Amino acid sequence: MSKKNKAETLNIITNQVDTLNIIKGEDTWEPVGPTPLPQLPDLRNWSMRLLKTYKPFYAPFCDLCCNCTYGKCDLTSGKKGACGIDIATHQARWVLMQCCMGLACHGAHGRHLIDHLIEKYGEDYKIDLGMQVDVEAPIIRTVMGLKPETLGDLRTAVEYVERGLIHLVSSTHTGQEGNNLDFENKALHAGMLDHVALELTDIAQIVGYGYPTSIADTPLVELGWGAIDKTKPVVLAIGHNAASVNSMIDYLRDNDLEDKVEVCGICCTAHDVARYSDKAKIVGHLGKQLFFIRCGIADVVMTDEQCVRPDVPEEARKAGAALIATSDKISYGLEDVTEKEIDEIVRLVSEEKRQVLILNPEKAGAVAAKVAVVLAPNRKKGFIDTEAAIELAKDCIACDLCSQACPNMLSIGKAIKQFAANDIAMLSETFKRCFTCGKCEQKCPQSIPIVKIMQAVATKERYNVRSGRGPIHDVEIRQVGSPIVLGTIPGIVAFVGCSNYPKGDEEVADMMDEFARRKYIVCASGCAAMAAGMVKDKEGKTIWEKFPPGFEAGGVLNVGSCVANSHIVGAAIKVANIFAKLPGRANYECIADYIINRVGACGVAWGAYSQKALAIGTGCNRWGIPVVLGPHSAKYRRLYLSRKEEDDWNIMDGRTEKMTEEYVEPAPEHLAIVIESKERAMVSIAKYCIRRNDTPVGRQIKLNHYIALHKKYIGEGLPDDLHLFIRKPTDVPMFFKREVMEYLKEIDWKPRQQVGLPTLINTYPTKANIADIK
Amino acid sequence: MKPYWDVNILTGTKTARIIEDPVQFAGLIKKATRPLYILGPDTVDRKIGDKLFLKYCLDLAKAGNLPICATAHVQKKMEEFGVQPNSSYDIIEIVNHLKDPEWQGVNKEGNHDLIVFSGVRCDLAERGLATLKHFAPHLKTMALCRFSHPNADFALPVIRKDEKWQEYFASLIANLIGDR
Ligand code: SF4
Ligand code: SF4
Ligand code: SF4
Repeated sequence: MSKKNKAETLNIITNQVDTLNIIKGEDTWEPVGPTPLPQLPDLRNWSMRLLKTYKPFYAPFCDLCCNCTYGKCDLTSGKKGACGIDIATHQARWVLMQCCMGLACHGAHGRHLIDHLIEKYGEDYKIDLGMQVDVEAPIIRTVMGLKPETLGDLRTAVEYVERGLIHLVSSTHTGQEGNNLDFENKALHAGMLDHVALELTDIAQIVGYGYPTSIADTPLVELGWGAIDKTKPVVLAIGHNAASVNSMIDYLRDNDLEDKVEVCGICCTAHDVARYSDKAKIVGHLGKQLFFIRCGIADVVMTDEQCVRPDVPEEARKAGAALIATSDKISYGLEDVTEKEIDEIVRLVSEEKRQVLILNPEKAGAVAAKVAVVLAPNRKKGFIDTEAAIELAKDCIACDLCSQACPNMLSIGKAIKQFAANDIAMLSETFKRCFTCGKCEQKCPQSIPIVKIMQAVATKERYNVRSGRGPIHDVEIRQVGSPIVLGTIPGIVAFVGCSNYPKGDEEVADMMDEFARRKYIVCASGCAAMAAGMVKDKEGKTIWEKFPPGFEAGGVLNVGSCVANSHIVGAAIKVANIFAKLPGRANYECIADYIINRVGACGVAWGAYSQKALAIGTGCNRWGIPVVLGPHSAKYRRLYLSRKEEDDWNIMDGRTEKMTEEYVEPAPEHLAIVIESKERAMVSIAKYCIRRNDTPVGRQIKLNHYIALHKKYIGEGLPDDLHLFIRKPTDVPMFFKREVMEYLKEIDWKPRQQVGLPTLINTYPTKANIADIK
Repeated sequence: MKPYWDVNILTGTKTARIIEDPVQFAGLIKKATRPLYILGPDTVDRKIGDKLFLKYCLDLAKAGNLPICATAHVQKKMEEFGVQPNSSYDIIEIVNHLKDPEWQGVNKEGNHDLIVFSGVRCDLAERGLATLKHFAPHLKTMALCRFSHPNADFALPVIRKDEKWQEYFASLIANLIGDR
């Protein structure tokens, strides 16, 4: 870039800053870094540097493109579309579109909450996350350079996200961007903006609703359909935006009804209402939506936004439950009754059986509570009994068409046939892996109600999950910062995302248990936190009862709903900013560089299904945090992979400011990878927590887990890439010393220097200041 | 031909040649210079009759002298049978290597020209086969899987009955023995 252009660019940024008053002149909390309010070009070089090592891997879902009226275009065998696009670029475009959807969902959720809360409390309402949290918004601070102090500041942050989104969506139009790597830069940018949206949303709801913050030991919430008290009027909330269900809690409190009405939820709304009321319960993750509605236990179903089934109105009607939609994102073609009086709406819903749209959260909450009280006494609720279910299954002709339709490839037909013969074992195992999507039933020539039959084999036990705790405390970061960076806490492993699990909830619980016992810091959120709670050990304890809830070695913590994922990423940023005192303000590249080289964090989205999960994962990748995905996520079509032996791993030694000359360990090896089995995933996760900055003691500990897990799950010998991660004999774990040293001798391994201060800064053109990382 | 699983129905133009005859399937393997046999975890999780799927695959690899890449946690079970794989990558990693024509293969003798898949989770196998179909024109892919795979170059028809599947394997093995 010429000097003149650079000056102009800076001017534009400065003008933008002044015009929008985003970074207030009087703010002196930290000097403004090189990339305030980054737009697409500003962090492009960082993206490209990552993509040089972690190249996009595409797995097309379809040979064709049907994006515009030139199509359909066949893109096989090197053919281009009528517009000139090739298959790789088309995949990258598709991924960007998906990331934009995810980003838009989080952004719109945040926008709705902030507007609602500003209307209630005013824009000067202060952000206070309690005694333990001074760095309130590490993502917003680092990305934007803004230190949000009020709800109004959060609105400024969402406006920044909204502006960015227009540019991103625009580039997906036919005849726009023409290069897959540039599409990937945009996807990474979308992921970064998504994290801003996550953070502002969760902060808004923490301060607006008084959710727990600055406390680790949050209460245990009852979990599971078996925990729901059918004898009371039951309101079920589904979705991600708890504004309406929280308003209902207010109504119940004001009218002394909190003990008389059972409030429960599915998906993230459930986490959030449980952060608001200790009486609210969680039915389960999104995979049990259809199952639970069909049980008929809910008298009122209240939908808000995201991951809610489009057929909820039809299913609620069949189950005899009332339906209240509360979001302009999901209006179901229903009459908008927002302007009507509460009692009139209650009458329409309970007497005329009308399904309605109410866009005022307070009104929706009041109506839902009142309708539940009116309807409940006249409804029969309960699970089908085994005998009746077996009778239904007896119509099965073993055609297996149901199995073929199953998106999780379950042998449901065989399970139904065995169940009809009074053998329930296979069906109850199948149910554990079932998303209750209903695809099987649609194919059944005998119209067997498979999802209903499953009620007979579903566990009726009560489980629990720790209520979402919000941000990681600054003091926790100070305590664990050093062991994380030195490597003596072997890693932070975050189990996040949706419930599209290949083999059920148990896999998540098992993985979390393995890493917690090995003294990693184990974080969870969203559906993953619920899945982990749906499993008990021999003593009848869930993972939430077995491990401490702090951000500490061996701690297992639930940050909250999906938007609370921001606090896990925020913790990695805080390690750089609070523990290592790296300037964070508008200093994205330095912080991300610190994370990729020194903070052994790994995300695990074992059941990621949504576009939001893709955006979150892609956002993690831009921060340098690797993400392990379960097998279904190959359908996202794009991963970021390196090749450990073939690729150029040379980096900069920040101390000498010279490029390394010897081989440097491929750590982290990949940024986004799908792994086929949980066994392999555990071994890989341990490896992906290795960082170039590990001290010899830290590396020993990490390699000890890598080898031990490899021996436990993969094979007797040593991992075949072990030597790549050993710099000197002092890196070799004591427990395996003899075996490893023999192996190193056998392959003629040579020791090499540990890189003094590993960094990517200055290995590519950047405005980031290498002095910041020293 | 429609694959067994609806999730694997092809939305596309370039679909597998279905090889009904095991002798022909064996002939295709024999023609390859550097084949690779990728074994996924369904080989450990599924049985054919009362014998583990993996046992059939190992017999086949032995008969055809095929190097094995064990994905997921298959190696563990192979070791129980006293067999070591030639390499252990997860499915996505091995596919990523195979994309590169310059890659030297699991035996460091050059990239493979024929890739045979067995026991990889069917929806994931289909994604890996799609990657190779689009980005690895230098090699051919075969899905030795009874559920059929449209994104492979060569696939089996859907084989519903265990006995048929056993017969297919037996014939394949008989026709490979001693030829490589
Ligand atoms: S966007 Fe391009 S490739 Fe897609 S249908 Fe239109 S012309 Fe064809
Ligand atoms: S409801 Fe369960 S068994 Fe039926 S198709 Fe869906 S996931 Fe498969
Ligand atoms: S589709 Fe219906 S009849 Fe056929 S196997 Fe499945 S449950 Fe039985």
